[in-house]
Amino acid sequence: MDFNFTPEQEKFRQEVREFLDREVTEELVQEAEKGTLIGSGPAIKAFNKKLGEKKWFCPVLPKEYGGMGASHVENLILTDELLYYRALPLMNVASQCVAPSLMMYGSEELKQEFIPRIARGEIEFALGYTEPDAGSDLANLSIKAEEKDDYFVINGGKLFNTNCHYADYHWLGARTDFNVPKHKGISLFIVDMKAPGISLSPLYTMDYERTNEVFYDEVKVPKKYLVGEKNKGFYYIVTALAFERNFPIGMMRRDFEDLVDYVKETGKGKDPLVRQKLAQLKIELEIAWIHTYRVALMAEQRKVPEWEAPMVKMFATEFMWHMGRAGLEILGLYGQLVRGSKWALLNGEFEFLYKHGRRRMITAGSNEICRNTIALRGLNLPRG
Amino acid sequence: MDLSLSEEQEMLRDIARDFLRRECTKDMVREMEEDEIGYSSDLWKKMADLGWMGLAIPQEYGGMESSFLDLAVLLEEFGRALVPGPFIPTVVYCAVPIVKRGTKEQRETYLPRIAAGELVMTLALTESSATFEPWGVNVKAVSDGEDYVINGVKLFVPDAHVADLMICVARTQEDSKDEKEGITLFLVSGKAPGISYTPLKTIASDRQFEVVFENVRVPKSNILGEVDKGWPIIEELMQYAAVAQCALMLGGARAVLEMTVDYAKERVQFGRLIGSYQAIQHKCANMLTDLEGIRFATNMAAWKLSEGLPAKMEISMAKAWCNEAYQRVCTEGHQVHGGVGLISIHDMQLYFRRAKAAELAMGDADFHREKVAQELGL
Repeated sequence: MDFNFTPEQEKFRQEVREFLDREVTEELVQEAEKGTLIGSGPAIKAFNKKLGEKKWFCPVLPKEYGGMGASHVENLILTDELLYYRALPLMNVASQCVAPSLMMYGSEELKQEFIPRIARGEIEFALGYTEPDAGSDLANLSIKAEEKDDYFVINGGKLFNTNCHYADYHWLGARTDFNVPKHKGISLFIVDMKAPGISLSPLYTMDYERTNEVFYDEVKVPKKYLVGEKNKGFYYIVTALAFERNFPIGMMRRDFEDLVDYVKETGKGKDPLVRQKLAQLKIELEIAWIHTYRVALMAEQRKVPEWEAPMVKMFATEFMWHMGRAGLEILGLYGQLVRGSKWALLNGEFEFLYKHGRRRMITAGSNEICRNTIALRGLNLPRG
Repeated sequence: MDLSLSEEQEMLRDIARDFLRRECTKDMVREMEEDEIGYSSDLWKKMADLGWMGLAIPQEYGGMESSFLDLAVLLEEFGRALVPGPFIPTVVYCAVPIVKRGTKEQRETYLPRIAAGELVMTLALTESSATFEPWGVNVKAVSDGEDYVINGVKLFVPDAHVADLMICVARTQEDSKDEKEGITLFLVSGKAPGISYTPLKTIASDRQFEVVFENVRVPKSNILGEVDKGWPIIEELMQYAAVAQCALMLGGARAVLEMTVDYAKERVQFGRLIGSYQAIQHKCANMLTDLEGIRFATNMAAWKLSEGLPAKMEISMAKAWCNEAYQRVCTEGHQVHGGVGLISIHDMQLYFRRAKAAELAMGDADFHREKVAQELGL
């Protein structure tokens, strides 16, 4: 047992911090704050390129594909620091989902076309899973991909596909077979977002994010952009989800420290209730931190964190919610003020966390689904 | 980063689990709840033969000089098996400070006997003030020639009735500005004239006592540490003691989860296994999540103590978390078991009741959260 990092890992962390001290500007942080409202603005694009130059945009990729062959622990160290510096919007689809899946299931041709550009931080992806009738029940998706000679024609709609308005590509799950059990008839495609026939309608969330309805009207996708085998898409999606889902808490650590500083500065630290609340948050923070490393260590040992990944997602998002709530309790009336309002405290971060925590307990695998998975896969409880 | 136990630790765990499954059955646990002594001297001797009392005692005193983390692994199995008796008071509350702060003579006199299972000890710390803070210590010790004379009442003293020797925490100086100063630790014979015991009846059915000191004489050579400077020793031993309780809670929580999942996979109602209902599945998922938190927090604290690293924050985080998480695990365990879990011949209620003792020993959640707040600099 060892809760320390190796000297090499500490050296890496130091290198990352020095880079971030230099490269993270106020402009970058403000763009990142806007999250999906504007997507990647110029500062984020430039920063992603710089990360790409250091091989840090998707560090776990092998060196020959533009990564640094980083271990999952190193990847987590880097991500935690990026989040701590507020330089990273919370989810990076290209490096977290697409690149690892392509490495596992994509043809060499596809890998060569996309991986180096992902590694250099040049392209962005949007996940294309959810539909009006396919939320938690992902296998229920029904957007249709019909096979023609050397292309597929796709018709149908997606809902809550975030990032589509600025992503270069759609990582699309579509149905290629309607005559088999639902999960056996899904295929994965890479679709150019500029392809004729794709249109978007924005949806704005209560936590200042933008997501989209996406409409596919006779969209042609060349066959080479089928990822892996036809009708195996659901299996790829689920395995990738288990493997790549982690929930680094670097930004929440930063938020917690800011809250502690605020409490110290204002003398609220003398209030026993405030002390108790902050202590409880600290405990949950450190336990969440260990959870994230547990999942990273499993990934390093090529063990699939079937229930461990849902557990970290669940725990970390509920911690986020607790911190948002506690922060607002401590801020009192000020807690209701939105970022940018006169008199708003701590840059409105806790008003944001309160709403964002609410959202994160639902999206990317609701916490109820997480609990189902933990029960079924972690405890072998029987299906209903 | 490595969150796993070593091979040796896994072996220790497996051997301990196996031994305790055979030698410390739930029947014995129930019997001991009613028994006046409260533990089996036969089991005690067997554990001594396995070297468990001396597990973390230095080799020169007859111990195995294993790490505190190794001891925590063993204590996890104690928590699972609900081992009754004065093991933790002897081995953790008292042996730890004697190893770290005893004079050469004290170490040579007491440690080999503890390691051999021949000396039972306990700690008389808390009083009617019911706090683990230094201002709660009001039992007085007054200097008189070669001795000190102790007067006062200690409460919640574990296994006092079988202790050959006690560490009694007393106030030797009234007028210090800081309540932490002026406290002295005395090694007092359990049979010293002037000591009397009254058993307390507890929810856990463990053996806790009111101990009255009436003009009890203790030779000055029996002071552990220095006069008036005893509180830092208590703070230090409380660190180990709190983590020991966390280890017990870890083992207990794991046993409760296993028992609960097993039950959910057998019990049929409305034509289905109750484990197939989502409400039950979610309770079990919450229990596993709490258990993993108990495991991470306990291991982090035990590891840091083992490595000699500063650990005040981690220890209080662990104790605060475990206190509440183990309670939640028992609550959900009870809900899943329904009526049967309430019956005394069922094991669920054994763990539920025992959980309260572990929670309160060495600081409840509020107490430890306050320590975390202090460590945060608030």
